[in-house]
Amino acid sequence: MKKVLIISGYTIKDHLKSKVMYVTLFLALSIVLVTFVATEFTYGVPEKVAIDFGLGLLSLSSLAISIFMGSSLLSKEIESRTVYMVISRPVSRAEFISGKLLGLILIQGLNFLILSVTTISMTLLFGGSLNQLIFQALFFCFLESLLALLLVVFFSLGCNIFISTSITVLMIIIGHGIQETNNLSFVLNRPYLKWFLDQYHFVFPAFYKLNLKDFVIYNQSIDFSIILSNSLYGIFYCLTIFLGIIFIFNKKNID
Amino acid sequence: MIMLKFNNITKIFKTDIIDQPFTALSDVSFVIPSGSMVGFLGANGAGKTTSIKIIMDFIRADQGVIEFDQKLGKNKLEIFQKIGFLPERPYFYPGLTGEEFVHYMGSLSDLTRPQIKASLDKWGERFRISHAMKRPLKTYSKGMLQRIGFLTTVLHDPDFIILDEPLSGLDPVGRKELKDAIISLHQEGKTVFFSSHIVPDIEEVCDRVIFLKEGKLVYDGEVKKILGDGQEENFIIKFYAEGVDPRGYFPNIEKLPGDLWKCIVPSVDKERCLKVLLEHNMKIQKIDNDKKTLEQIFYQIRTQS
Repeated sequence: MKKVLIISGYTIKDHLKSKVMYVTLFLALSIVLVTFVATEFTYGVPEKVAIDFGLGLLSLSSLAISIFMGSSLLSKEIESRTVYMVISRPVSRAEFISGKLLGLILIQGLNFLILSVTTISMTLLFGGSLNQLIFQALFFCFLESLLALLLVVFFSLGCNIFISTSITVLMIIIGHGIQETNNLSFVLNRPYLKWFLDQYHFVFPAFYKLNLKDFVIYNQSIDFSIILSNSLYGIFYCLTIFLGIIFIFNKKNID
Repeated sequence: MIMLKFNNITKIFKTDIIDQPFTALSDVSFVIPSGSMVGFLGANGAGKTTSIKIIMDFIRADQGVIEFDQKLGKNKLEIFQKIGFLPERPYFYPGLTGEEFVHYMGSLSDLTRPQIKASLDKWGERFRISHAMKRPLKTYSKGMLQRIGFLTTVLHDPDFIILDEPLSGLDPVGRKELKDAIISLHQEGKTVFFSSHIVPDIEEVCDRVIFLKEGKLVYDGEVKKILGDGQEENFIIKFYAEGVDPRGYFPNIEKLPGDLWKCIVPSVDKERCLKVLLEHNMKIQKIDNDKKTLEQIFYQIRTQS
């Protein structure tokens, strides 16, 4: 565990010194500007628009940062041979990849914190109020970005940056749209297709389970059992991919 | 004592479904004795880096096994505690400073901060890199990166040092410094294994050499032996012959510009030739040993079909 912490610590240090954090600050500024402009064009409900745009942009920004950082995590290490410097020491491959991932997750946590504070500040500025649901939505948003991060790292073990990014984006789109697809009459009229699509979330990540934005915007309450089961689904999926990454990285030729 | 046994290693790369598989190493076996300084030679693409990657477990062999001296340890983590490795053309985390990078590598090798500092003081001064330790690595020149890479390789006082093309990209002064450092580590009793395609470097510092050609082992043995093996020692004598035609006295003779002549004589005939030259008042300009260098021998092997 000590080596994992050392690797994650230096991963954070290297990232903080790079220009990546400027991207986060730029995105935070974008949230401020877009929210401000959007509320100007609405009548009567600026706080709803602020939270709608805020959460939407927060979700998109954190997904983009996850994919951007995750897709190059291993390829950068291998191309620059820095991975050889680390794993030629008494460090197992599992420790190396866990350390890198932990470092990236903590950086993502910091990015997310900056963007969340910006979103909440804008909501409060436009007369919105804080409630439990907003924090639950933020938690799910973070879980969604972690899942995307782990997915893109997983695919990058076998594909180049372009392909791993494309597959991840595709999975995010399908994962969000699968619930709507399930409710189409075309699907409802075909029980075998409905059954097939119902099994989707057992194999592929069902991102729609991690999306509470609509509940927040329309101030709908949500049952605790759904919060719990969806959280467990997200955490379990993340853990499974994490173990998959370790397993494949242990077997992989680092060439 | 054997530090490393590289036993019957075969490595085949399958780039994609359509292309034919490429055999990078074909049943290669060699040993690295403890305390030796072994050079690893071969042209680009001969399989040197692939062999090193297999030794370091970065890639796995399709056939064969690697055995380390049991003194190094029982498992991979124990063994790697006593190995220092420098990859070819290393490029480090650009955001970290030299000092941070050295501390990072040291802490991964379970060194304490005072141990890292002591090692840093010793090697930093020696490689003239101490002044740059507070600077980010992205500002380092290629030579400085190579030197800090070597510093981190020896930071934890390893018993077995593996270097992949350590001298590439260094200026003559840097090459000399690094070669001297490698020699002094060897004199301290470390086993050093380094690859290079620059033969004179290997000839200068190594006592053993392993030569690969197209993924196959061509030679594994002492440098002295290959330099002496099968070579008839000849001497080149250059001399001036004014008013004398020396062609009748020497079998292997060649006219050079002016009155200068050159003859190649076997060692056993050297004294007779010199006597003839002196008797006929021919002035000797130079006598050289016509021994082949390691580079000439390997160039000969490389070009053989």
